[in-house]
Amino acid sequence: MRTLSSLQKRKVETESGRLLGRCHDLRGELTGSNLCVTGLCVGKNAWFQHLGVRSHDQHTVVPWEAVVRIEGKRIVVRDDATN
Amino acid sequence: MSRSELDIGLKVLDHQLLDKNGRRCGNVDDLAIEGGPGEVPRVVALLVGPGYWGQRAGWIGRLAGWIGSGSKVRVEWSEVTKIDSAVHLRNDATKLGLGRGDDRLRPYVEKIPGAGR
Amino acid sequence: MNKIFGLALGILAAIGGFVDIGDLVFNTAAGATFGYQLMWVIPIGVVGIIVYSEMCGRVAAVSGKAVFDAVRERVGFKAALGALVSSEVVNLMTLAAELGGVAITLQLLSGLPYRWLILFAVVGFAVIIWVTSFNWLERGFGYGGLCMLVFAVAAVKLGPDWTKVGKGFIPHITQNNPTLYAYFVIGLLGAAMTPYEVYFYSSGGVEEGWKPKDIGLNRANAIVGYLLGGTLSLALMIVGATVFLGHGIAPQHLGTIALGVGDPLGKIGLLLAIVGILFAVGGASIDTVFSGAYNLAQFCGWEWGRYRHPKGAPRFAVTWLVLLVLAMGIVMTGVDAVVLTEYAVIFSVVALPLTYVPILLVANDKAYMGRYGNGRLANGLGLVYLVLIMVVALTAIPLMVLTNAGQN
Repeated sequence: MRTLSSLQKRKVETESGRLLGRCHDLRGELTGSNLCVTGLCVGKNAWFQHLGVRSHDQHTVVPWEAVVRIEGKRIVVRDDATN
Repeated sequence: MSRSELDIGLKVLDHQLLDKNGRRCGNVDDLAIEGGPGEVPRVVALLVGPGYWGQRAGWIGRLAGWIGSGSKVRVEWSEVTKIDSAVHLRNDATKLGLGRGDDRLRPYVEKIPGAGR
Repeated sequence: MNKIFGLALGILAAIGGFVDIGDLVFNTAAGATFGYQLMWVIPIGVVGIIVYSEMCGRVAAVSGKAVFDAVRERVGFKAALGALVSSEVVNLMTLAAELGGVAITLQLLSGLPYRWLILFAVVGFAVIIWVTSFNWLERGFGYGGLCMLVFAVAAVKLGPDWTKVGKGFIPHITQNNPTLYAYFVIGLLGAAMTPYEVYFYSSGGVEEGWKPKDIGLNRANAIVGYLLGGTLSLALMIVGATVFLGHGIAPQHLGTIALGVGDPLGKIGLLLAIVGILFAVGGASIDTVFSGAYNLAQFCGWEWGRYRHPKGAPRFAVTWLVLLVLAMGIVMTGVDAVVLTEYAVIFSVVALPLTYVPILLVANDKAYMGRYGNGRLANGLGLVYLVLIMVVALTAIPLMVLTNAGQN
């Protein structure tokens, strides 16, 4: 079991080591009695974006299927994650 | 974004909790998620209470949490009925273990005349 | 017709409520030290509090959230916790200063010993707040505060050199003692832009269920109230300048400030001045203690509300009681009320960015505000004041140290 807060602020990198940004939120889908996580909201200026200085729709959403592993201080995603 | 899509940290985390009677009974201090890479993760519970502040704000959070009695309450996601500007719950706050601070103080406060005008 | 009446009552209450002990101390001291040279700072402060309040009121009307609800949701837990701690510390200092002021005016009226009057005042407030409906509380203190208008009358009666007064509205830097001058600029701005007023205003808006359609009326109410209140501050400075400057008196005691009115208007004027100060500072105490309770309750998600019975919001009620007791403790140490006021104002200025920045961000957030987000005027002014607030916050403590808290 993880907490949302533990996923936020982590670096998001591709398998080949490219830094995509920081995870500052999770995209979810609310259905009936379930809230499923569908993706990561990744942004460069994570702090600013979370504060709403830019519109929320402008950050990149990395689909959860692209997540390879979660380790240490970062989340690793597939190289083709942002296509 | 389709209508049932939302940013979880934005729309749920840190929001006010309201029980079935509209009573304020805490903020969403964290969320428990089950499921990792290769699965479809679900938010399984709301985590409510100063005991969860340490993991949000480091040592300051832990200190503040300790001052705030360090309580931890887990509310299963199935208790959530609606999410708008607040997170609405199906049940009574007391049944869910929320708002205990208010419930504990109420008997003393009620003893003082004028408390229930 | 009823709406206009209600609006008029609201404005009257705001006039009495605008002036608190920070304004009393800094405006008269500024007049007593620099004559009319600092008049220009007051309109800047008034516009500043209008800009700040307007944003908070609009956020409350559109999102249904008060300042700390909005701050915690949008700025992140860590930053919000920092803002909470700093605002509670500042709030407590301000409350202690206000209570000291109340005790002093009671002493001027009754001659009874100071420490007993502190206890009497605190117990009195606790009972009044516990038992009285908030509407009566607000009206009572608001109308009593109208006695402060005697300062405006006195200012005119003292027959100041109006050309000199007018020149004071042109921003300029003085030649002699620029450090002390700068300290007063900061103090005047800090006294005008008190954060507790903003927390109180926005929480009240949420409790009264303001909706977007109420924005216009409340904006007008706030603007007129603060403008009229601002003229009281101008009057205080004029009284300080005409009565004290020539005689080299620095009003270090509230009684001296009241005497400034006694000079032109005699015993009745003096009495009205003391009563006015009592109600203005007393009303401010109530606003301050509620703000402290609001901030904590909103941050923690507790039930809260000034219209709630204590048993409906027990932790909220206990919080303001505890704050009163803590503030009483501070005042009982015998620290001078005027010195305490100066520290409270300066520290509140230092902490001001910590809640101003989040509100500026929230007021701009389309997800929160929809089409009621900051327009160009609000953002233009908002950013100008942001810069001003940051400059003031950074220079406040160094200036306080350099001028030995204005004792230069």
